[in-house]
Amino acid sequence: MKKYIVLGLLAVLGYYLMSIFLLVDFGLPHFAHGVKDVYLSSSKNILKVSNAVTAIVVNFRGFDTLGEVTVLFLSATAMSGILYKKRHDIGERSILFPASSIIRSGAKMLFPSITLLGIYVFIHGHLSPGGGFQGGTIIATGFLLMLLTYQNYSVSHNRLVWVESVAGMLFVIIGLAGYFMKGSFLENVLPVGELNDLFSGGVIGIIYVLVGFKVAAELIGIIYTILHEKG
Amino acid sequence: MSIMEIIGSFLVIVGSIFLFLGALGIYRMPDLYSRLQAGTKATTLGAMSVILGVGFWEPDWFLKLLVLVVFIGYSNPLSSHAMARAMFKKKIFPWTKEGGVDAYKEVIEPTGEKQES
Repeated sequence: MKKYIVLGLLAVLGYYLMSIFLLVDFGLPHFAHGVKDVYLSSSKNILKVSNAVTAIVVNFRGFDTLGEVTVLFLSATAMSGILYKKRHDIGERSILFPASSIIRSGAKMLFPSITLLGIYVFIHGHLSPGGGFQGGTIIATGFLLMLLTYQNYSVSHNRLVWVESVAGMLFVIIGLAGYFMKGSFLENVLPVGELNDLFSGGVIGIIYVLVGFKVAAELIGIIYTILHEKG
Repeated sequence: MSIMEIIGSFLVIVGSIFLFLGALGIYRMPDLYSRLQAGTKATTLGAMSVILGVGFWEPDWFLKLLVLVVFIGYSNPLSSHAMARAMFKKKIFPWTKEGGVDAYKEVIEPTGEKQES
């Protein structure tokens, strides 16, 4: 019975996908130009964002980015579900030998600069290469360094979950604000400013900061879970 | 060509020579310790020199590049120290010629057990 329900759902999905694809005029000459010119000109002239990739990822294809962040969240959750044998009963951190004092004091100096670099990368996501995902990953590497160096350095799991949830919720709220004020999800609702300014591109900068926090929290959670895996 | 540009070009050339020697060292050296030395010492100086040379070409960026130089100056030796210490703790012996002196092996091998240091 279940099989037939799945087959029926797949058939319905396939029908609608087919009808969407039939709407696209594949092979016709105007399709050869594609949407690239529209994206490039509108990211520069309408959104005033100098990094066209960011404009596409966060604004024109913002819904996909929300999906990506959700996939990351789900994989982090599944990973901690697999690795935690019993919840709140985490094993010892597997460590061969303690880090030397040079590494200890060096890590203390490196950690703020790594975090600063990560924050710089995700704040300037709409101006330079990089963005929320990259900046979040850089911040997570800083935490990895601290976790590897200091045996008793710990990250509050509740705080990570809190940061992650608030960032995700604000992302959706900004998207809904676009829906209610401008008519489509994740539409820009803020003034766009000048090209190449830090405060340009409307909601794009804010969304990338949120994505950065969310990715950083998720990756730190994954790293923490792996380091505390019970043997 | 102004004097700043000449200094900058000189620094960039010196830096690229050192980076090349570092790469050559990683290819040519016999064991992990000497490869690590080639891969970090030479490239630290090479990268610093190239970055400072660019700073002489573009004086507006000099402060930013100075921050980068400081960052490389303390992160690169740190990582090489961590790697060398890990290799030492994992009992990877340095390469020696026939009959060469290897103090590390002399400490480790008589007992055959892990020595705490």
